[in-house]
Amino acid sequence: MTPLSPLIAVLSYVIALCGIVPLYPWLDLLPRLFLAAGMSAGIWQDRRGAWPLKNWMLNASIVPLFLYYAAQFSRFNAVQPVVSMLAVMLAVRLLGEKSGRHYLQIQSLSLFCLASSSLFDLSPSFLLYLTLLLLLAALSLVLLTFQAHDSRMTLSSRDLRRVLAAGLLIPLAALPLLVFFFPLLPRTQLPLWNLLAAPASRPSGFSDKVETGGSSNVGDSSQLVFRAELSRLPQQLYWRGTVFNRLSGQRWVRDAAVPAERIVYGTERVSQVIYPEPALSRNLLALDAAAEIRAIRVKRSADGVYELPLVSGRRQNYQAESSSRGMLPVKGSIDRDFYLLLPETVPARIRSLAAEIRGRADSDQGRLTLLEDYFRNGNFRYGKQGLPTGEHALEQFLFESRQGHCEFFASGFAVLARAAGVPTRLVGGYLGGEYNDLGGYYLVSEQMAHVWVEVFIDGKGWLRIDPSSFAVNSGAIWGVRQPAGLVKRLRMVLDSFDHAWNRSVITYDLERQIEVARHAGKWLQAFRAERVLNSVFRPLMALAAVVGIALVLTNRRRLLLSAQERLLRGFYRRVARDCGIQAQPGSVGLFELAEQSGNHRVRTFADIYAAAVYRDRRLTREELLVLKRLLREGFNPPS
Amino acid sequence: MKTSAANRAVTAMLDSLCGKHLQGKEEVLRLAVIALLAGGHILIEDLPGLGKTTIALALASSTGLSFGRVQCTSDLLPSDITGLSVFRRDEGNFSFLPGPIFNNIVLLDEINRAMPRTQSAMLEAMEEQRVTVEGVTHALPDPFMVLATQNPSDQSGTFPLPESQLDRFLICTGVGYPPDDLEKEIIARGGIRERISGITSVASAADIIAARRTVAEQVYLSGKLVDYIHALVAATRCHAMIQAGLSTRAAINLAQAARAAAFLEGRDFVAPEDVKGVVASVCAHRLVLRPEHDAADRRLLLREIVAGIVLPM
Repeated sequence: MTPLSPLIAVLSYVIALCGIVPLYPWLDLLPRLFLAAGMSAGIWQDRRGAWPLKNWMLNASIVPLFLYYAAQFSRFNAVQPVVSMLAVMLAVRLLGEKSGRHYLQIQSLSLFCLASSSLFDLSPSFLLYLTLLLLLAALSLVLLTFQAHDSRMTLSSRDLRRVLAAGLLIPLAALPLLVFFFPLLPRTQLPLWNLLAAPASRPSGFSDKVETGGSSNVGDSSQLVFRAELSRLPQQLYWRGTVFNRLSGQRWVRDAAVPAERIVYGTERVSQVIYPEPALSRNLLALDAAAEIRAIRVKRSADGVYELPLVSGRRQNYQAESSSRGMLPVKGSIDRDFYLLLPETVPARIRSLAAEIRGRADSDQGRLTLLEDYFRNGNFRYGKQGLPTGEHALEQFLFESRQGHCEFFASGFAVLARAAGVPTRLVGGYLGGEYNDLGGYYLVSEQMAHVWVEVFIDGKGWLRIDPSSFAVNSGAIWGVRQPAGLVKRLRMVLDSFDHAWNRSVITYDLERQIEVARHAGKWLQAFRAERVLNSVFRPLMALAAVVGIALVLTNRRRLLLSAQERLLRGFYRRVARDCGIQAQPGSVGLFELAEQSGNHRVRTFADIYAAAVYRDRRLTREELLVLKRLLREGFNPPS
Repeated sequence: MKTSAANRAVTAMLDSLCGKHLQGKEEVLRLAVIALLAGGHILIEDLPGLGKTTIALALASSTGLSFGRVQCTSDLLPSDITGLSVFRRDEGNFSFLPGPIFNNIVLLDEINRAMPRTQSAMLEAMEEQRVTVEGVTHALPDPFMVLATQNPSDQSGTFPLPESQLDRFLICTGVGYPPDDLEKEIIARGGIRERISGITSVASAADIIAARRTVAEQVYLSGKLVDYIHALVAATRCHAMIQAGLSTRAAINLAQAARAAAFLEGRDFVAPEDVKGVVASVCAHRLVLRPEHDAADRRLLLREIVAGIVLPM
């Protein structure tokens, strides 16, 4: 025997946890403390069975807190006070003595808490918590109805199992409806809580400037930047984000006044769908180099950089078409002076090296080869520690330490190239990506942020050069493919689940709905009924036959009338026709009918039939024949 | 049919009674015989002067069974019925003088005039089929049937039987006025009381005992009929107008009476019609109606309930 009350209490605490856990990281300290205290004190008091604080006291005590949070509420700080208040209210309910009403309040407050956690973050774990909460809430509601009937009720384990099964069946029965309604229910095109959708700023490997010598160490962040759905490509992947076209002091920046140029993209395109994580960047990334990016209000600059007018912060995927050959052919000429511009502060050692290169070759191609040779033979090393700092960081890197990360390589290369008279620009983006075979997409994280250069070769166009690849240890860093360990594979599986969630739930909006509808329409148009029928006819018929036979077998007593029942019906029909007595089987007995009709043939029938039925035996063959003959001849035969 | 020998004797008896001597009382007689065959007792409830006593006398004399009669009054003592020990001076010891209850058929006339104490003594004897007087238990003869009569209880100076004691009667029925022409004939000819002594017995006590055994052992009660009876009893228990539905004893008695009715119909199995035919007489007096519906006709109510139950076929 299991008493119900402790079971309901435990269920309520688990339900409350389902609401608290996802919200907890986003709460302020005060509501956090409240929740922890309320939960533990509630459990302790439930075990003790005594509640020194009455509910009305608790309710009254949070009124000042409510006023405090109400005062904090404003258009710009709308969520935190509300969420904090929710948490405090839940904590108070957990703390107090609980009747059925209070359990219901705990359930709804937990649901609100879980829902409000989605204002901060919508991860797939939300689905997990929601499912758990709904299942447990349904279960607890069923138990509460029993408890409302008798608060000290105990159930035997068999009854309890049945009650639990019924409680679990309720939400499970609603699941098909969920699948049906999900694509249908109205969606907004824009996120409901735009203000919140911008995530907390985080350190980014990809920024709007490249500055060498800022710090001696560069952190590594494995934070996801975007996922790109495309088939696996054999070559090293460069994800082009932005172009830095002007050096001001130590810093490469992007000059918004990009000189006009006409890039001619190849016709061999790689199509990809990019799912960026929400970030503060306006740049749209794509495989180098994107001929086209289809997104709302996207703006393309002449140098092939795609930007959004605003930081949206919402998850929005876009499709990109790239022609990836490491070369951007340009039709006509470019503004060479713009891409040769260098500030006065470029050190003399760099200028003299550049002058030497300029003297030894007179074409862009020739000078580029010399530059590449300089880097390739210069014993440069790629590293993220012990970086040169300060004003002369670049000079130190080029001539002394010869150790740096991609920004040093790219920046050094670009400065030298410009000084040597070769138009050059820096390109910021990402290099590489982990391919997720399960989901069929590349995962690109912050640590893959990279900077390389594009060098203009007259008559050809912009050539992509990655100076970091000239480092002596570049092969060790980019060439080796890590073996796919169990952990990594597991991570990939989890990530593909995350991706599927983002793809099909978070970014599922009106557009996708319309797309689904259009697909359905197309599919219906292309639907050839006969073809489908032909292919499924046989299995369908077989299935129908099996189901039909099973139904008939299980309901045979109801469906198929026994010979006796057929006889009986025939008898009543005969009596109605021949003797004019309308009666239903079951309402007027056989002998009654014989009595009423006064017909000896009816009497005979009743005698024979009843003698079998009321003696619990079957009619013998002879009896059946006699009865059938009686029915056939009728009760008033023409004698 | 196996039942034929016993059946013939009993039906012949019934036919002769109904046809020759007690015209217009067929239904009461049939029920009395059913009670006799089922080993139960019958309570006839009607106004005085409708032939209650005559029926009892006629039944006794036509079966050749011994007959005893007790006229109940408010000062009737239990020993007046059961008998008592008297001192025989000549023999020098006490000997037991059996009372009127030591007969096969006992008529308890106007049972509701007796005191509850006496009533309960009689009813105990009915139930147990034996009497204990001064520590000695005396078995009552077999077959034994009590035929009690009762005036409707709104008459003055009566002690109406409580429900628990009503429950001991297998059958409770009225007599009713005879049909008009029959009544005229009776008026013209006078009563038949004096002629009853001249009725020749058609069946013997042995016949009755054989018929009883046949009813109990050879009339088949199908599982379908058991279900039907159970459905009927269950329906009375959840009826809106009824405070206490039929007891299990009522169900047992209904089955017994139905067997006897089937036997009288010449069948060796019970049909639903047998149950329907006796249900009002067997069950009506056992129903306890809600106070607000106390005036309702119980027999009518039972018939309504029965009409709502599907006959097994």
